[in-house]
Amino acid sequence: MSALLNWFGVKSSRLTGAPRLMTAYLINGNRAAWQRPVALVLGLSCLLVLVLLYLEREWVLRIVAWLRHQILTASVLTIIASAVATARRRVRKRAEFARSWLAALPVQAGIAVWEARLLELLPAAAALAALTGIFLAVAAMAPFTAGRGSGSALTVWVSMSGGVIVGAIASYGLRGPKPVDLPPGSRYVPHGRIRAAAALRPSLQALGVWPLRLMFARAQPKIVARAILPILVMMPIGTSAAAALSIIAIYVVAGALLLLMPAAIAVSGLSVRWMAPLPVRGFTVTRAVLIPTIVAIVGAGAAEGMFLFVIGVSLRAAATAALCIAGAGSLVTMTAARLWRARLPAGSRA
Amino acid sequence: MTEMPSGDVLAVRELRAGYGRRVVLENISMTLAPGDWYVLLGPNGCGKSTLLDCVASRLVAGGGEITIAGFSLSQNPREAKLRLGYACAPDTLPALLTARQCLEVHAGAKGLSAIAGDLLALAEELRFTPYLESFVDTLSLGTRQKLAVLLALVGEPLLVVLDEAFNGLDPASGLILKRHLRARLDRGGGAVLLATHSLDIVEHYADRAAVLIDGRLKREWQQDEIRRLRASHGDFEAALAQSIQP
Repeated sequence: MSALLNWFGVKSSRLTGAPRLMTAYLINGNRAAWQRPVALVLGLSCLLVLVLLYLEREWVLRIVAWLRHQILTASVLTIIASAVATARRRVRKRAEFARSWLAALPVQAGIAVWEARLLELLPAAAALAALTGIFLAVAAMAPFTAGRGSGSALTVWVSMSGGVIVGAIASYGLRGPKPVDLPPGSRYVPHGRIRAAAALRPSLQALGVWPLRLMFARAQPKIVARAILPILVMMPIGTSAAAALSIIAIYVVAGALLLLMPAAIAVSGLSVRWMAPLPVRGFTVTRAVLIPTIVAIVGAGAAEGMFLFVIGVSLRAAATAALCIAGAGSLVTMTAARLWRARLPAGSRA
Repeated sequence: MTEMPSGDVLAVRELRAGYGRRVVLENISMTLAPGDWYVLLGPNGCGKSTLLDCVASRLVAGGGEITIAGFSLSQNPREAKLRLGYACAPDTLPALLTARQCLEVHAGAKGLSAIAGDLLALAEELRFTPYLESFVDTLSLGTRQKLAVLLALVGEPLLVVLDEAFNGLDPASGLILKRHLRARLDRGGGAVLLATHSLDIVEHYADRAAVLIDGRLKREWQQDEIRRLRASHGDFEAALAQSIQP
């Protein structure tokens, strides 16, 4: 948002009556030091996409032609997606604002409304910008394709952009989803029976369950459900129940791995910092954190191999996949944890 | 309790520390003898927490030396840390571990075979025991503060370092904790280094106090001076404030 404001040359003094935008603007200013490399990476990524579009222009033209034929469906889907996304963002942003440090500030009613609209409609604006960018890229290829596809691209762009705008506007007529009050992460963490009478047993074992718990805390039921739904939709008609369950299991295990690895990396750094005043080496702490994670990654690799075998992949290929997942996952986690650990408790150089 | 040292429990010599190029502490020297309750006073941002972070080896000092019970924190960190208990800020406790697990991890890191009954009795006295099985992220600020202090006391360390450890505690729990620490010191149990803004602790419990301003120790009160202040002035707070004036 603040980048957008900077882009339009908005001065901070003009935002003094709009505290949410002012905050975004100031935070953006504070981040100036690392914005340049991010902008460079984004610019290079855009360039790479343009080159890919050019190299695969025949495929791009086919996709555009297909979208042109399916324009009604594409437009309706765009309207629905835009409306749902905007409504959800509106509810989330309002809930966040109600709890934020700016909630009690007196803001003029008119300013509060347009400030909220700007923040709520940001993804729709980003989608419009992306669609326009893609359309311009396709239009720029016209000299190399003898003008084929330009008309279709224009139709697709107008229809889908219109869909985004109509959906965003329509979302204000929809009843938003129930606001979610962000719960503590531990609500989603499975835990065993309470050992109320058990004696305290000194051990570093608990550090090992920390990444697994963080994984569960991040994989909230709603997120899992939303992730599984498209997989079910994509399943071809006639898929057997065994194959469908195996495919879902493959995605679930892969998703769990994607959550577990960053969780383990984050926890290894946090635990070293937490335990800095204690007489235990950083390596010992990291080992206690990572061993259960590595066991889980190896287990996940084996499970993926097994599920691949069930859906008809050869034993050799399934075993290779299992080994690759276990090996690469463990290596990436250990290396990243080591780098993260080295980075965290920065010493004084004064 | 870890074996009592013959010399100082804590010795800080010409400590220099900061963040990047910003120097926060300059030429800090102080010692804590066995039985000392040493209170660090000073305005916000004067470097109290930075000093405690250095003592707790959460921040590497840029110069000078810190020894705990004769063991250098830089050259013999394990022996030094075995004698150290540090109460971290409540918001840095691991949210997804239970209070019991936090205690077990601290005891495990200190190589203990069991947690002392004294500590469990304090937990009971602070009405903390019912929260042992609760996840840290479900605890209130005061309950987390109690956990942080209990963690600092695991293994009966010689030196207990507390950073504003009474913030968020209800008055009854605060009183229990102050009395526990005082009784511990009177039994000959090590020393306490506390950073706080509460002058009542200096008035009623501390043996020595110092004021830190702009990263330098500006004024230090020895035990007899504090006794004199207690005896001669009705308003201890005003007397202390007056003493800080140049």
